[in-house]
Amino acid sequence: MTTTITYDDKSVRHFMIASILWGIVGMLVGVIIATQLSRWEMNGHWLEMVTGGWIKADGISFLTFGRLRPLHTNAVIFAFVGNMMFAGVYYSTQRLCKCRMASDLLSRIHFWGWQLIIVAAAVTLPAGFTRGKEYAELIWPINIAVVLMWVVFAVNFLWTLAKRNEPSLYVALWFYISTIVTVAMLYIVNHLSLPTSLTHSYPIFGGLQDGLVQWWYGHNAVAFFLTTPILGIMYYFLPKAANRPVYSYRLSIVHFWSLVFIYIWAGPHHLLNTALPNWLQYLGMLFSLMLWAPSWGGMLNGLLTLRGAWDKLRTDPVIKFFAAGVTFYGMATFEGPLLAITKVNALSHYTDWTIGHVHSGALGWNGFMAAGMFYWLAPRLWKTQLWSKALANMHFWIGLTGILLYVAAMWCAGIMQGLMLGQVAPGGTTLKYEFLETLESIQIFYWLRSFGGLLYLVGFILCAVNVWKTARSGQPHDESVEVTLLEKKQKDGMAWGEALFNDPLAHIFLAMAFVILWFFLPRHADKAALVVALLLSWKAVTAFKASKDKWTNWHERLIENYLPFTVLVFVAVAIGGAVQIVPSLIVNREKNIEGRLQELYTPLELAGRDIYVSEGCYNCHSQMIRTLVPEVMRYGRSGVADDFSHLGESLFDHPYQWGSKRTGPDLAREGGPLATGAKYMRVGKRGNDWHFNHFLNPRQTSPGSNMPAYTWLFEKETDVKSVPARIAAQAKLGVPWPAMNQHEIRDSIETQSQEIAKSLVGAGVYLPAKPDLKDDALRNHLAKSQVVALISYLQKLGAYREIDKNGKTKPAVLDPDSNRSAAN
Amino acid sequence: MFKRVIIEDWAHIVPFVSFFIFATVFVLVTLRAMRLGKAERQRLASLPLQDNPENLNR
Repeated sequence: MTTTITYDDKSVRHFMIASILWGIVGMLVGVIIATQLSRWEMNGHWLEMVTGGWIKADGISFLTFGRLRPLHTNAVIFAFVGNMMFAGVYYSTQRLCKCRMASDLLSRIHFWGWQLIIVAAAVTLPAGFTRGKEYAELIWPINIAVVLMWVVFAVNFLWTLAKRNEPSLYVALWFYISTIVTVAMLYIVNHLSLPTSLTHSYPIFGGLQDGLVQWWYGHNAVAFFLTTPILGIMYYFLPKAANRPVYSYRLSIVHFWSLVFIYIWAGPHHLLNTALPNWLQYLGMLFSLMLWAPSWGGMLNGLLTLRGAWDKLRTDPVIKFFAAGVTFYGMATFEGPLLAITKVNALSHYTDWTIGHVHSGALGWNGFMAAGMFYWLAPRLWKTQLWSKALANMHFWIGLTGILLYVAAMWCAGIMQGLMLGQVAPGGTTLKYEFLETLESIQIFYWLRSFGGLLYLVGFILCAVNVWKTARSGQPHDESVEVTLLEKKQKDGMAWGEALFNDPLAHIFLAMAFVILWFFLPRHADKAALVVALLLSWKAVTAFKASKDKWTNWHERLIENYLPFTVLVFVAVAIGGAVQIVPSLIVNREKNIEGRLQELYTPLELAGRDIYVSEGCYNCHSQMIRTLVPEVMRYGRSGVADDFSHLGESLFDHPYQWGSKRTGPDLAREGGPLATGAKYMRVGKRGNDWHFNHFLNPRQTSPGSNMPAYTWLFEKETDVKSVPARIAAQAKLGVPWPAMNQHEIRDSIETQSQEIAKSLVGAGVYLPAKPDLKDDALRNHLAKSQVVALISYLQKLGAYREIDKNGKTKPAVLDPDSNRSAAN
Repeated sequence: MFKRVIIEDWAHIVPFVSFFIFATVFVLVTLRAMRLGKAERQRLASLPLQDNPENLNR
């Protein structure tokens, strides 16, 4: 029986237009923040210059790099790529399932809900409302909205699969399923928070656990938000554009399963050479290297789909964008594992090399695949011809030049700064360059990067014009087709037992579980686990031999059954995360810490820390001295052995603040001991007055600095009222705050802030905005200001106490030949 | 378990475990892919092209 169906292409048009518009916004913010790294005036002072002094500001809070950088990343990831992905998923899913999306209402809720979330992010992030975790900055009410919209999308998508008129799920749909399932898992776990108000919360994980969960999420957000849906789009739109089937369907099977299984294990490569336990670092590195195989399998499958259609590369802008996009996928997935090798990472991490890597993926892979898809879709969605092929070609060449300029500049900047930071002065006991010298040396590359980014933005504006003109030249068109209705028994008839407890498969899963136990169990028990794993592997082989044909048919049956398929995808992606995160959650606790254990913050220091997070300082400053000699030489304290950052030093930090990029120096040892005669006030590497002047005008204390001036910190008062609720929330999360009532908390804040303010007045600080304030009046004004709270926090950084336990590792005599302990 | 998870030197075991897990998944799906019949493979690969106007009369 046949019927005529009309696809919901209106939603596709909506998502596509939203993607283009938000893409331009996100890229524009990217260009602005790029220039901020070259000229500090771009953090708001430029408004004073533009308005001829009508607006007076050395810096404007909502225009600083720390607040705009999260806006840029969130806009590009969730608004640009997110909307593009939804456009591609809605278009291709309907065609591959031969039915209209299950619910127009859900499609509309999904579209408008997603746009509202983006608007909410665009308002809250510049306002300083943030969770302080990269790509997970949005505050908890918006997190809930994201989850709800994701559920709406998932229900609509899976419901469409249930209604489909094609028995088999094409490989593109597998990638969409993996996106839906995995992003939900990652997003929910990494956003678990305890709210303290409508706009503030603390992540439930702290320190190392938070770092591990964050990069399990962060890395796999790249994998399952920026890669798998775009691979699905590649598998659908590239054959359409080339008018030939995918090069190898077999390879697509290998590509899909190995990619979704392996990707999830690689997250810890973002924390190499840090306090992260070694086994996690090794796993992160090894699985990153293994990712080469599926990633390149997928890339080659995409490029070889163009076999016999290479001539179109010259004439068809769609093919041009797709071919370049897939090539950039190959480049980025080559570079990623390279950067995950610990020795390479020692050079690249915290530098612009990583930024270059990310942008070869975002601009080259995501951006070009988006452009190719838009140029392919626009004529079909408005039933007309593309307005200008020449303009699309111009977009391609401008964009390509922009990417290459951007990426090459960042490679050079990153490698140059990394090498300079590690260079030792003649004599070998000191470092050759100050941090600021390295920053000044890479300025030329920063300008080139800004220019490259600007070119890319111009290219995308051309795309917007072209799509707009195309739309104007046609009429919105919803395609109608005649399809054969599928009988119910032709799909989704697989029993759960058949899907999940198939003999060879069950044995293999069990064998893998025992291999993981081999990894964790104590001596001897681990060997027993290995033997069981080998026995199960042998059993799997015999089971496979016994029921070869049945098992051969199993995968074909599986792709005709969307729910068991979805569950198996979930199992595949959950294993890696569980193996890495669960042991860390169990054992990385205060009672197990040996050596250094973080000193608790005072209430004022906590308030200062929240300001630090709110201003986005973590976007430029790390708090992690890696286990590398040059780092310890640069940031460690002289005379203190092993002065890299230890696991226990940030155990109570919710959120952790290890950072991922150093535009400024590391701050892990910025603080110091209690000042003589003070009850709470500490003084570290630099005096309170140095920090005061640094926030007022960074170039006064650090010539050549590109840090914004934080003048508003001197006017705004610290939010003392909310501190008791914040302490109560942290106590619930396991931070061992001493029992304090709100009066004691306020007294503590008052005492410490007065101590710091007094020291500042004593040092003769001057407040340009209030020149009349002096002595006690100035002290009382400063004591209430945010800058004093922030100084109190900075002066606490690196404070810890030593925990001595019986099991602590003792010095041992080493065998001179093997350089290992004689006991071994 | 604490010492084993946080402190011990894993260099001698992690690569083996990683390789075993990787190889298992890779071999499994490759085997599966190799056994897929040609006709079925072609049918599945051509799913996106079924509604191309030039293919409708094939």
